Amino acid sequence: MIRRALGHIISCKDASRLVSRRQEATLSGWQRLVLRLHLSVCDACARFERQMAFLRNAMQRYRQ
Amino acid sequence: MASTDISRDLEPQRGYLLRVARLQLRDDALAEDVVQETLLAALSGTGFSGKSSLRTWLTGILKHKIVDAIRKKQREPTVASAFGDIDSEMDIEDFDAMFNPRGGWDSKPAEWGNPEDALNQRQFLDVMDLCLEKLPPNTARVFLMREVMELETDEICKELAINANNLWVILYRARMALRQCLEQNWFARNGQHP
Repeated sequence: MIRRALGHIISCKDASRLVSRRQEATLSGWQRLVLRLHLSVCDACARFERQMAFLRNAMQRYRQ
Repeated sequence: MASTDISRDLEPQRGYLLRVARLQLRDDALAEDVVQETLLAALSGTGFSGKSSLRTWLTGILKHKIVDAIRKKQREPTVASAFGDIDSEMDIEDFDAMFNPRGGWDSKPAEWGNPEDALNQRQFLDVMDLCLEKLPPNTARVFLMREVMELETDEICKELAINANNLWVILYRARMALRQCLEQNWFARNGQHP
């Protein structure tokens, strides 16, 4: 219950932006914390995070 | 590596270089020129040590040629419009449409299974090309500068005269659009393939 509430300090929209931004910049401690809490309770965003990692790999493969 | 070997090895890389140059410049003639210059520089240069792959080395040369071409183009006001309106591509609002008013996914990302398997399939790379072509021109340019050319964010900002925030928005938009395009055109259809 508490975990779910903590996970939703940020929305999926905010989480998706942080996942992308993290590839270019270092997130603040607060951003890292709320993102981690969100990803631990949200399956859709956890999938989104894996897909972003895949996309980066795929682009490296594209070059090879 | 002797120069006769390298000229033979360069030819098969031409298609890849052209694809990357076209996606970034959206101008076939200019892309041809840039690739030509890259191959010439490769032939006359002494830079290839064999430490990295030939393609990585060529990508490094191409990167400089593309940046030069973009710079030159930006100085020509008459063709600036052909270059697309970067301002409209920095607007994050239309990607907010993927979320409901409370910030939840309107349509949740689907399960992709083992996406790595797709990387070995020729058709997947074709779908990837189509998805990249569908991106707005500056969005594609910035995304490729970042992910294929591996330019640092401050270099990209400097070359395109945009700020870091604009850059994040553009990259976010590129990733959201590509994710959706790959899901619709590959993973939703082929997700169950071996």
